[in-house]
Amino acid sequence: MKKISIFEVAYKNLLRKKTRSLLTILGIAMAAWVLVSLFGFNKGYETSLNKDIDNLGFQMLVVAKGCPYEAATLMLKGGTGLKYMKEEIAAAVAAEPEVEGVTPMLMQVVFDPNKGESGGISAFLGVDPASYPKLKSALPFKAGRWFSEPQAMEAVFGYEAAEFEQREVGDLYLIPEKEVEVKVVGVLERTGTQDDGTIFLPIRTVQRVFALPDELTAIGIKVKKEADIKAFEDKMYKLPDVQVVSLSQVKTTIMTLVSTARVMVFSIALIAILIAMMGVINTVLMSVMERRQEIGILKSMGAMAIDVFKLVWLETIILCIGGGLIGTGLALLTARLTDVLVRNLLPYSPSGGLVAIDVKLVLMTLGVVTAIGLASGIYPSWKAARMRPLDTIRSEVES
Amino acid sequence: MRNKNRSKLDRGRTFRSGSAFLLAAAGLIIGAAALYAAVGCDLNDPDRDVKRLFPESTGYKTLYVSITKRGGEELLRKIEARLGDKFKGLFETADVPYTMYEIYKGADLVGYIHGVNQKGTYGGLQVFLALDLKGIIRGFYFQKLTSRAAKAFRIPAFGDQFLGLSLEDFYRYDVATGKEEPFGPVSRIKNPDPASEQDFRATLRATKKNLILTDEFLLGNPHLKFFKG
Repeated sequence: MKKISIFEVAYKNLLRKKTRSLLTILGIAMAAWVLVSLFGFNKGYETSLNKDIDNLGFQMLVVAKGCPYEAATLMLKGGTGLKYMKEEIAAAVAAEPEVEGVTPMLMQVVFDPNKGESGGISAFLGVDPASYPKLKSALPFKAGRWFSEPQAMEAVFGYEAAEFEQREVGDLYLIPEKEVEVKVVGVLERTGTQDDGTIFLPIRTVQRVFALPDELTAIGIKVKKEADIKAFEDKMYKLPDVQVVSLSQVKTTIMTLVSTARVMVFSIALIAILIAMMGVINTVLMSVMERRQEIGILKSMGAMAIDVFKLVWLETIILCIGGGLIGTGLALLTARLTDVLVRNLLPYSPSGGLVAIDVKLVLMTLGVVTAIGLASGIYPSWKAARMRPLDTIRSEVES
Repeated sequence: MRNKNRSKLDRGRTFRSGSAFLLAAAGLIIGAAALYAAVGCDLNDPDRDVKRLFPESTGYKTLYVSITKRGGEELLRKIEARLGDKFKGLFETADVPYTMYEIYKGADLVGYIHGVNQKGTYGGLQVFLALDLKGIIRGFYFQKLTSRAAKAFRIPAFGDQFLGLSLEDFYRYDVATGKEEPFGPVSRIKNPDPASEQDFRATLRATKKNLILTDEFLLGNPHLKFFKG
């Protein structure tokens, strides 16, 4: 006589009510799908957002006190009001242990009488060819490259500046007012930031052309990931005659929004898990109640309570693992579609993948779903295990 | 004076609400100021500039056209043939959006204004023409000019030399060689600074291109019959 395993019995029991078992598996699969997609989205969005923020280059900017540090202020001031600090401050900042990198900058503006009816201002940003490209590694070139040396009479144009001045790599450009020629060695891709309208020159060239040796208007600072940005900010505030513009507040605000979204994601996932659990308990309990007589006969033939418990528990776990596998498979298959849908729904999406599903997430989901199976199978299994054979057989006869 | 269409400049400055947050963050980073308007060749201050070029006007309408939208590659070839030169470089392409202004006095159309970008020796030139309904130049204006001889090019006497000319006159001017055969009105336009010959020729090329585009997109090609391709 062929001996069959408890697993086989559990599996065959489930096959007896195919539709019910299938619907239960689908319910769990949906929960697993939601779980993987939501956590995948949460992780992908956060990673992409962090990358976008990191691509901005610096988390902090130290500028000379009172110096306008962004376009709107500079324009309101008509290009005037630039304040300077000594280059040695950059070296002092770079020596701080929290600092990953610094880049000195010198901004200059000139009045160009030949821009528009009553003239306009042209701005130039002197940057260090060694450190600036490292910190702003996300600035892609449409053509050309960065400067050949710190004193080169060369320029790199942001996309719109290049289009406005009709400049291409190899062309000359005349710095208004100074009547100094520089050669265009690079044109950047459009970035959607104010870099698009910027004309970059080597910092030493700007210092020489504008007769400002050793002067800077700003220092871009990239802080180490493990550093306490707030404490470092406080340290920078103590430097004399400088002001600190920090992106950490912006980053904190964005991360607070992400955390809020994460709580919502957890809540939705929890609800999905609870619904799935209730579904499993209901299905298995119903199955146990329908098999009262059968369980009674099994016990009267010598099956122990623990055997019945194991049988029903195994049925539950099979349902949950089956649903979990189908759900994670669906999530993996539809990840790209989810990415596109979410991207269309959100008002702002960072660049890069929005849904990041990795092995860890898949294993975690399968683990969670198995745990759901184990937990939700306890009550029906316990109920089945404590059935008394005589009662179950008698109740069947009476009914 | 009311602009009937929303200007491209305005649209360029309109951030999508969602992306504004990150862009604002980016704006906190020093970089040189974004002192360049959305690229194209719009009048900086249309209300003021239209009134200056057409004092009798009471309104204007802004049209946005491009070679790509109006005829694509085939049209580009036709325009290049009329210009006598190829469109060149990164920024002179068929998909450049041209902003054209129809000028009205009451309900009557009285003229056109159109500007083009042109590559100069040291930077971009923006050459605007005010044309009457027959396509004859009644106003010439450098909105922007980067040149060592900028001052000389911007004196009114230089722009006045273009008044009264039309595409018919410019067809005889070869932008590739800088010569007009036979000698005609374009040859009589004096270069105010012989050292800046390249910028002078760039100005003439921009003017011819401007006239061709206006003829094609606004006037219905009345000057095509003078083109001896």
